[in-house]
Amino acid sequence: MHPNDTTLNDYVDGSLGTIEQSSVDQHLATCASCQQIVADLRDILRTAGELVLREPPIRSWSRLERAITMEPAVRRQTTGASSSPAEAGRYGSYRTWLAAAAALVLATAVGIRYMPLGRSDAPSTSSGGAAAAITADATAQSVESELRQAEGHYENAIRGLEAIANSERSELDPRTAATLQKNLAVIDQAISESRAAVRSQPASDPAQQSLIEGFKNKIGLLQDTVALINEMRKGNEAGAARIASGLKQKGT
Amino acid sequence: MTVDLVARCQAGDVEAFETLYRQYSARIYTLASRMAGSAEDGEDLLQEIFLQAYRKLGSFNGDSALGTWLYRLALNHCLDYVRSRQAKMNKLTETLDAETSFRPTARRETPIARLDLERAVERLPEGCREAFVLHDVEGFGHKEVADLLGIAEGTSKSQVFKARLKLRAFLRGT
Repeated sequence: MHPNDTTLNDYVDGSLGTIEQSSVDQHLATCASCQQIVADLRDILRTAGELVLREPPIRSWSRLERAITMEPAVRRQTTGASSSPAEAGRYGSYRTWLAAAAALVLATAVGIRYMPLGRSDAPSTSSGGAAAAITADATAQSVESELRQAEGHYENAIRGLEAIANSERSELDPRTAATLQKNLAVIDQAISESRAAVRSQPASDPAQQSLIEGFKNKIGLLQDTVALINEMRKGNEAGAARIASGLKQKGT
Repeated sequence: MTVDLVARCQAGDVEAFETLYRQYSARIYTLASRMAGSAEDGEDLLQEIFLQAYRKLGSFNGDSALGTWLYRLALNHCLDYVRSRQAKMNKLTETLDAETSFRPTARRETPIARLDLERAVERLPEGCREAFVLHDVEGFGHKEVADLLGIAEGTSKSQVFKARLKLRAFLRGT
Protein backbone atom coordinates (compact mmCIF):
# COMPACT_ATOMS: atom_id res chain seq x y z
CA MET A 1 0.00 0.00 0.00
CA HIS A 2 1.32 3.46 -0.96
CA PRO A 3 2.01 5.98 1.80
CA ASN A 4 -0.30 8.96 1.43
CA ASP A 5 1.07 12.19 -0.02
CA THR A 6 1.22 13.90 3.37
CA THR A 7 3.44 11.11 4.65
CA LEU A 8 5.70 11.40 1.63
CA ASN A 9 5.90 15.16 2.17
CA ASP A 10 6.85 14.67 5.81
CA TYR A 11 9.39 12.08 4.66
CA VAL A 12 10.98 14.67 2.40
CA ASP A 13 11.07 17.14 5.31
CA GLY A 14 12.65 14.53 7.55
CA SER A 15 9.91 14.93 10.12
CA LEU A 16 8.70 11.32 10.31
CA GLY A 17 9.40 9.17 13.34
CA THR A 18 12.02 6.45 13.03
CA ILE A 19 9.60 3.58 12.53
CA GLU A 20 7.50 5.42 9.99
CA GLN A 21 10.59 6.59 8.10
CA SER A 22 11.88 3.06 7.94
CA SER A 23 8.54 1.89 6.61
CA VAL A 24 8.60 4.50 3.85
CA ASP A 25 12.21 3.62 3.03
CA GLN A 26 11.19 0.03 2.51
CA HIS A 27 8.26 1.02 0.32
CA LEU A 28 10.35 3.35 -1.81
CA ALA A 29 12.84 0.57 -2.49
CA THR A 30 10.25 -1.14 -4.66
CA CYS A 31 7.80 1.59 -5.79
CA ALA A 32 8.84 3.69 -8.77
CA SER A 33 5.85 6.03 -8.65
CA CYS A 34 6.37 6.98 -4.99
CA GLN A 35 10.08 7.35 -5.72
CA GLN A 36 9.12 9.87 -8.41
CA ILE A 37 6.93 11.85 -6.04
CA VAL A 38 9.69 12.01 -3.45
CA ALA A 39 12.24 12.96 -6.11
CA ASP A 40 9.97 15.74 -7.41
CA LEU A 41 9.29 17.15 -3.95
CA ARG A 42 13.01 17.09 -3.13
CA ASP A 43 13.74 18.80 -6.42
CA ILE A 44 11.23 21.55 -5.63
CA LEU A 45 12.66 22.01 -2.16
CA ARG A 46 16.23 22.14 -3.41
CA THR A 47 15.46 24.57 -6.23
CA ALA A 48 13.41 26.77 -3.91
CA GLY A 49 16.44 27.15 -1.71
CA GLU A 50 18.57 28.12 -4.70
CA LEU A 51 16.35 30.81 -6.19
CA VAL A 52 18.34 33.92 -6.96
CA LEU A 53 17.69 37.54 -6.19
CA ARG A 54 15.87 39.63 -8.77
CA GLU A 55 16.94 43.15 -9.66
CA PRO A 56 14.18 45.75 -9.53
CA PRO A 57 13.44 47.77 -12.68
CA ILE A 58 15.93 50.54 -13.41
CA ARG A 59 13.24 53.20 -13.03
CA SER A 60 12.54 52.18 -9.42
CA TRP A 61 15.18 54.40 -7.84
CA SER A 62 14.08 57.42 -9.87
CA ARG A 63 10.50 56.91 -8.74
CA LEU A 64 11.57 56.55 -5.14
CA GLU A 65 13.88 59.55 -5.28
CA ARG A 66 11.06 61.68 -6.59
CA ALA A 67 8.74 60.46 -3.83
CA ILE A 68 11.38 61.19 -1.20
CA THR A 69 11.71 64.79 -2.36
CA MET A 70 8.05 65.18 -1.44
CA GLU A 71 8.73 64.18 2.16
CA PRO A 72 8.13 67.37 4.08
CA ALA A 73 9.70 66.94 7.48
CA VAL A 74 13.14 65.62 6.62
CA ARG A 75 16.08 67.93 6.03
CA ARG A 76 17.37 66.79 2.67
CA GLN A 77 20.85 67.26 1.40
CA THR A 78 21.44 67.48 -2.32
CA THR A 79 24.53 66.21 -4.04
CA GLY A 80 27.81 68.02 -3.75
CA ALA A 81 28.01 68.65 -7.49
CA SER A 82 28.35 72.32 -8.17
CA SER A 83 25.73 74.08 -10.24
CA SER A 84 24.73 77.65 -10.84
CA PRO A 85 21.94 79.04 -8.68
CA ALA A 86 19.80 79.32 -11.81
CA GLU A 87 20.35 75.66 -12.69
CA ALA A 88 19.81 74.60 -9.10
CA GLY A 89 16.57 76.57 -9.01
CA ARG A 90 15.35 75.14 -12.28
CA TYR A 91 16.34 71.61 -11.28
CA GLY A 92 14.78 72.12 -7.86
CA SER A 93 11.38 73.12 -9.27
CA TYR A 94 11.65 70.31 -11.84
CA ARG A 95 12.34 67.79 -9.06
CA THR A 96 9.30 69.06 -7.17
CA TRP A 97 7.22 68.63 -10.30
CA LEU A 98 8.46 65.07 -10.83
CA ALA A 99 7.97 64.28 -7.16
CA ALA A 100 4.35 65.40 -7.38
CA ALA A 101 3.81 63.05 -10.30
CA ALA A 102 5.57 60.23 -8.46
CA ALA A 103 3.42 60.72 -5.37
CA LEU A 104 0.33 60.71 -7.57
CA VAL A 105 1.34 57.49 -9.27
CA LEU A 106 2.32 55.84 -5.97
CA ALA A 107 -0.96 56.79 -4.31
CA THR A 108 -2.89 55.69 -7.38
CA ALA A 109 -1.10 52.36 -7.52
CA VAL A 110 -1.88 51.71 -3.86
CA GLY A 111 -5.51 52.69 -4.33
CA ILE A 112 -5.88 50.51 -7.38
CA ARG A 113 -4.08 47.54 -5.88
CA TYR A 114 -6.37 47.31 -2.89
CA MET A 115 -9.45 47.50 -5.03
CA PRO A 116 -10.99 44.12 -5.81
CA LEU A 117 -11.38 43.82 -9.53
CA GLY A 118 -14.31 41.50 -9.66
CA ARG A 119 -14.82 37.85 -9.76
CA SER A 120 -15.67 35.53 -12.58
CA ASP A 121 -17.63 33.24 -10.31
CA ALA A 122 -20.99 34.98 -10.57
CA PRO A 123 -23.69 32.42 -9.89
CA SER A 124 -25.22 30.69 -12.86
CA THR A 125 -28.86 31.53 -13.54
CA SER A 126 -29.56 27.88 -14.17
CA SER A 127 -29.04 26.94 -10.56
CA GLY A 128 -31.10 29.52 -8.63
CA GLY A 129 -33.82 31.04 -10.76
CA ALA A 130 -34.84 34.66 -10.26
CA ALA A 131 -32.88 35.21 -7.05
CA ALA A 132 -29.68 34.00 -8.64
CA ALA A 133 -30.31 36.19 -11.69
CA ILE A 134 -30.75 39.27 -9.47
CA THR A 135 -27.57 38.38 -7.57
CA ALA A 136 -25.68 37.90 -10.83
CA ASP A 137 -26.88 41.28 -12.10
CA ALA A 138 -25.86 43.00 -8.87
CA THR A 139 -22.44 41.34 -9.02
CA ALA A 140 -21.94 42.37 -12.65
CA GLN A 141 -22.92 45.96 -11.88
CA SER A 142 -20.65 46.04 -8.86
CA VAL A 143 -17.77 44.71 -10.95
CA GLU A 144 -18.41 47.30 -13.68
CA SER A 145 -18.50 50.05 -11.10
CA GLU A 146 -15.22 48.90 -9.54
CA LEU A 147 -13.58 48.67 -12.93
CA ARG A 148 -14.72 52.18 -13.85
CA GLN A 149 -13.25 53.50 -10.60
CA ALA A 150 -9.98 51.71 -11.29
CA GLU A 151 -9.98 53.08 -14.84
CA GLY A 152 -10.43 56.58 -13.48
CA HIS A 153 -7.48 56.20 -11.12
CA TYR A 154 -5.20 54.88 -13.85
CA GLU A 155 -6.22 57.56 -16.33
CA ASN A 156 -5.53 60.19 -13.69
CA ALA A 157 -2.00 58.88 -13.20
CA ILE A 158 -1.46 58.59 -16.95
CA ARG A 159 -2.56 62.20 -17.54
CA GLY A 160 -0.14 63.46 -14.90
CA LEU A 161 2.78 61.54 -16.35
CA GLU A 162 1.88 62.44 -19.93
CA ALA A 163 1.88 66.11 -19.04
CA ILE A 164 5.44 65.87 -17.77
CA ALA A 165 6.70 63.59 -20.52
CA ASN A 166 5.17 65.67 -23.31
CA SER A 167 6.43 68.97 -22.02
CA GLU A 168 10.01 67.68 -21.61
CA ARG A 169 10.14 65.46 -24.69
CA SER A 170 12.45 67.89 -26.48
CA GLU A 171 15.19 66.61 -24.13
CA LEU A 172 15.08 63.27 -25.92
CA ASP A 173 16.92 62.46 -29.11
CA PRO A 174 14.63 61.92 -32.14
CA ARG A 175 15.21 58.14 -32.32
CA THR A 176 14.33 57.59 -28.67
CA ALA A 177 11.31 59.86 -28.97
CA ALA A 178 10.16 57.90 -32.04
CA THR A 179 10.59 54.59 -30.19
CA LEU A 180 8.55 55.89 -27.28
CA GLN A 181 5.83 57.10 -29.60
CA LYS A 182 5.68 53.73 -31.31
CA ASN A 183 5.52 51.84 -28.00
CA LEU A 184 2.78 54.13 -26.73
CA ALA A 185 0.75 53.57 -29.89
CA VAL A 186 0.96 49.79 -29.45
CA ILE A 187 -0.16 50.03 -25.82
CA ASP A 188 -2.98 52.45 -26.67
CA GLN A 189 -4.21 50.02 -29.29
CA ALA A 190 -4.16 47.19 -26.75
CA ILE A 191 -6.09 49.34 -24.25
CA SER A 192 -8.65 50.20 -26.90
CA GLU A 193 -9.16 46.54 -27.78
CA SER A 194 -9.42 45.56 -24.13
CA ARG A 195 -12.02 48.29 -23.54
CA ALA A 196 -14.07 46.92 -26.41
CA ALA A 197 -13.80 43.42 -24.94
CA VAL A 198 -14.93 44.64 -21.51
CA ARG A 199 -17.86 46.51 -23.06
CA SER A 200 -19.07 43.39 -24.83
CA GLN A 201 -18.35 41.08 -21.87
CA PRO A 202 -18.36 43.14 -18.67
CA ALA A 203 -18.08 40.10 -16.38
CA SER A 204 -15.14 38.59 -18.21
CA ASP A 205 -12.17 38.39 -15.87
CA PRO A 206 -9.59 38.03 -18.68
CA ALA A 207 -11.00 41.14 -20.41
CA GLN A 208 -10.83 43.15 -17.19
CA GLN A 209 -7.31 41.94 -16.42
CA SER A 210 -6.24 42.72 -19.97
CA LEU A 211 -7.51 46.29 -19.62
CA ILE A 212 -5.80 46.80 -16.27
CA GLU A 213 -2.61 45.28 -17.70
CA GLY A 214 -2.75 47.81 -20.54
CA PHE A 215 -3.02 50.70 -18.09
CA LYS A 216 -0.13 49.36 -16.02
CA ASN A 217 2.01 48.99 -19.14
CA LYS A 218 1.26 52.56 -20.17
CA ILE A 219 2.10 53.88 -16.72
CA GLY A 220 5.30 51.85 -16.71
CA LEU A 221 6.34 53.26 -20.08
CA LEU A 222 5.57 56.84 -19.04
CA GLN A 223 7.48 56.34 -15.80
CA ASP A 224 10.46 55.10 -17.81
CA THR A 225 10.19 58.18 -20.02
CA VAL A 226 10.19 60.52 -17.05
CA ALA A 227 13.09 58.59 -15.49
CA LEU A 228 15.03 58.87 -18.76
CA ILE A 229 14.46 62.62 -18.92
CA ASN A 230 15.53 62.87 -15.29
CA GLU A 231 18.78 60.99 -15.92
CA MET A 232 19.56 63.12 -18.94
CA ARG A 233 18.99 66.31 -16.97
CA LYS A 234 21.33 65.05 -14.24
CA GLY A 235 23.92 64.35 -16.89
CA ASN A 236 23.95 60.64 -16.03
CA GLU A 237 24.64 59.24 -19.49
CA ALA A 238 25.10 55.68 -18.31
CA GLY A 239 21.77 55.66 -16.49
CA ALA A 240 20.03 57.27 -19.44
CA ALA A 241 21.55 54.74 -21.85
CA ARG A 242 20.31 51.84 -19.70
CA ILE A 243 16.78 53.16 -19.62
CA ALA A 244 16.79 53.99 -23.35
CA SER A 245 18.06 50.50 -24.13
CA GLY A 246 15.26 48.98 -22.07
CA LEU A 247 12.72 51.07 -23.94
CA LYS A 248 14.04 49.89 -27.31
CA GLN A 249 13.85 46.26 -26.15
CA LYS A 250 10.23 46.67 -25.10
CA GLY A 251 9.38 47.97 -28.53
CA THR A 252 10.79 44.94 -30.39
CA MET B 1 30.60 52.32 7.50
CA THR B 2 27.03 51.20 8.27
CA VAL B 3 26.89 53.49 11.30
CA ASP B 4 27.96 56.43 9.15
CA LEU B 5 25.53 55.48 6.38
CA VAL B 6 22.61 55.24 8.80
CA ALA B 7 23.52 58.54 10.41
CA ARG B 8 23.61 60.24 7.03
CA CYS B 9 20.29 58.66 6.03
CA GLN B 10 18.74 59.74 9.31
CA ALA B 11 19.95 63.25 8.58
CA GLY B 12 18.07 63.18 5.28
CA ASP B 13 21.02 62.61 2.95
CA VAL B 14 19.42 61.34 -0.25
CA GLU B 15 22.71 60.11 -1.68
CA ALA B 16 23.26 58.01 1.43
CA PHE B 17 19.77 56.63 1.12
CA GLU B 18 20.46 55.71 -2.48
CA THR B 19 23.48 53.73 -1.27
CA LEU B 20 21.21 51.92 1.17
CA TYR B 21 18.72 51.30 -1.62
CA ARG B 22 21.37 49.90 -3.98
CA GLN B 23 22.57 47.56 -1.26
CA TYR B 24 19.23 46.09 -0.26
CA SER B 25 16.72 46.70 -3.06
CA ALA B 26 17.25 43.35 -4.80
CA ARG B 27 16.62 41.43 -1.58
CA ILE B 28 13.50 43.43 -0.76
CA TYR B 29 12.16 43.42 -4.32
CA THR B 30 12.64 39.66 -4.55
CA LEU B 31 10.74 39.06 -1.32
CA ALA B 32 7.95 41.47 -2.28
CA SER B 33 7.49 40.04 -5.79
CA ARG B 34 7.29 36.49 -4.54
CA MET B 35 4.93 37.28 -1.70
CA ALA B 36 2.68 39.37 -3.92
CA GLY B 37 2.83 36.90 -6.79
CA SER B 38 3.75 39.44 -9.46
CA ALA B 39 6.69 41.62 -10.48
CA GLU B 40 4.46 44.66 -10.88
CA ASP B 41 2.99 44.46 -7.40
CA GLY B 42 6.47 43.70 -6.15
CA GLU B 43 7.72 46.95 -7.66
CA ASP B 44 4.94 48.96 -6.02
CA LEU B 45 5.61 47.27 -2.69
CA LEU B 46 9.32 48.01 -3.07
CA GLN B 47 8.53 51.70 -3.39
CA GLU B 48 6.26 51.70 -0.36
CA ILE B 49 8.72 49.74 1.75
CA PHE B 50 11.67 52.02 1.06
CA LEU B 51 9.53 55.10 1.54
CA GLN B 52 8.45 53.69 4.88
CA ALA B 53 12.08 52.93 5.69
CA TYR B 54 13.03 56.52 4.84
CA ARG B 55 10.39 57.80 7.25
CA LYS B 56 11.24 55.34 10.02
CA LEU B 57 15.03 55.41 9.88
CA GLY B 58 14.98 57.89 12.71
CA SER B 59 13.72 55.09 14.94
CA PHE B 60 16.47 52.63 13.98
CA ASN B 61 18.58 52.28 17.11
CA GLY B 62 21.12 49.66 16.01
CA ASP B 63 19.67 46.82 18.11
CA SER B 64 19.77 44.70 14.98
CA ALA B 65 21.76 44.87 11.77
CA LEU B 66 20.39 47.42 9.32
CA GLY B 67 19.65 44.72 6.73
CA THR B 68 17.70 42.72 9.31
CA TRP B 69 15.72 45.79 10.35
CA LEU B 70 14.92 46.56 6.73
CA TYR B 71 13.99 42.94 5.97
CA ARG B 72 11.57 42.79 8.92
CA LEU B 73 9.98 46.06 7.85
CA ALA B 74 9.59 44.68 4.32
CA LEU B 75 8.21 41.38 5.52
CA ASN B 76 5.62 43.06 7.74
CA HIS B 77 4.59 45.32 4.90
CA CYS B 78 4.23 42.38 2.51
CA LEU B 79 2.17 40.47 5.06
CA ASP B 80 -0.12 43.46 5.58
CA TYR B 81 -0.58 43.66 1.83
CA VAL B 82 -1.35 39.97 1.53
CA ARG B 83 -3.82 40.04 4.43
CA SER B 84 -5.59 43.05 3.03
CA ARG B 85 -5.85 41.52 -0.41
CA GLN B 86 -7.08 38.21 0.99
CA ALA B 87 -9.71 39.91 3.11
CA LYS B 88 -11.01 41.83 0.11
CA MET B 89 -10.90 39.10 -2.46
CA ASN B 90 -12.50 36.49 -0.16
CA LYS B 91 -10.37 33.77 -1.54
CA LEU B 92 -8.53 31.09 0.40
CA THR B 93 -6.38 28.27 -0.70
CA GLU B 94 -8.24 25.87 -2.92
CA THR B 95 -8.88 22.54 -1.32
CA LEU B 96 -7.42 19.45 -2.79
CA ASP B 97 -10.57 17.40 -2.36
CA ALA B 98 -10.85 16.90 -6.08
CA GLU B 99 -7.18 16.15 -6.44
CA THR B 100 -6.46 12.72 -5.10
CA SER B 101 -3.22 10.90 -5.36
CA PHE B 102 -1.37 11.88 -8.48
CA ARG B 103 1.00 9.31 -9.77
CA PRO B 104 3.28 10.80 -12.42
CA THR B 105 1.99 10.77 -15.95
CA ALA B 106 5.33 11.72 -17.46
CA ARG B 107 8.76 11.18 -16.15
CA ARG B 108 10.64 14.45 -15.85
CA GLU B 109 14.26 13.65 -16.42
CA THR B 110 15.95 16.96 -15.84
CA PRO B 111 16.06 19.00 -12.63
CA ILE B 112 13.66 21.90 -12.28
CA ALA B 113 14.87 25.14 -13.79
CA ARG B 114 14.85 28.05 -11.34
CA LEU B 115 12.94 30.23 -13.76
CA ASP B 116 10.27 27.56 -14.19
CA LEU B 117 9.85 27.35 -10.45
CA GLU B 118 9.68 31.15 -10.11
CA ARG B 119 6.91 31.27 -12.68
CA ALA B 120 5.09 28.39 -11.07
CA VAL B 121 5.27 30.06 -7.64
CA GLU B 122 3.54 33.13 -9.10
CA ARG B 123 0.65 30.89 -10.12
CA LEU B 124 0.11 29.54 -6.63
CA PRO B 125 -3.11 30.61 -4.94
CA GLU B 126 -2.85 33.10 -2.11
CA GLY B 127 -2.50 31.44 1.22
CA CYS B 128 -0.26 28.59 0.19
CA ARG B 129 2.03 30.86 -1.87
CA GLU B 130 3.01 32.94 1.14
CA ALA B 131 3.55 29.87 3.30
CA PHE B 132 5.72 28.29 0.59
CA VAL B 133 7.77 31.43 0.06
CA LEU B 134 8.35 31.93 3.77
CA HIS B 135 9.16 28.28 4.52
CA ASP B 136 10.81 26.78 1.46
CA VAL B 137 12.36 29.91 -0.06
CA GLU B 138 13.06 32.24 2.85
CA GLY B 139 13.82 29.41 5.28
CA PHE B 140 11.47 30.17 8.17
CA GLY B 141 10.35 27.25 10.32
CA HIS B 142 6.68 26.29 10.46
CA LYS B 143 6.22 27.88 13.86
CA GLU B 144 7.65 31.16 12.58
CA VAL B 145 5.52 30.98 9.42
CA ALA B 146 2.47 30.33 11.56
CA ASP B 147 3.23 33.35 13.75
CA LEU B 148 3.85 35.58 10.75
CA LEU B 149 0.72 34.52 8.90
CA GLY B 150 -1.49 34.30 11.98
CA ILE B 151 -2.32 30.63 11.44
CA ALA B 152 -1.78 27.39 13.33
CA GLU B 153 1.47 25.53 12.87
CA GLY B 154 -0.38 22.57 11.42
CA THR B 155 -2.02 24.88 8.89
CA SER B 156 1.40 26.16 7.86
CA LYS B 157 2.52 22.58 7.20
CA SER B 158 -0.55 21.77 5.16
CA GLN B 159 -0.28 25.04 3.20
CA VAL B 160 3.33 24.32 2.29
CA PHE B 161 2.39 20.78 1.36
CA LYS B 162 -0.43 21.99 -0.88
CA ALA B 163 1.91 24.47 -2.51
CA ARG B 164 4.47 21.79 -3.28
CA LEU B 165 1.82 19.53 -4.79
CA LYS B 166 0.49 22.34 -6.96
CA LEU B 167 3.99 23.28 -8.05
CA ARG B 168 4.64 19.68 -8.95
CA ALA B 169 1.47 19.62 -11.04
CA PHE B 170 2.36 22.94 -12.73
CA LEU B 171 5.88 21.82 -13.52
CA ARG B 172 4.71 18.53 -14.94
CA GLY B 173 2.18 20.33 -17.08
CA THR B 174 -0.73 18.44 -15.55
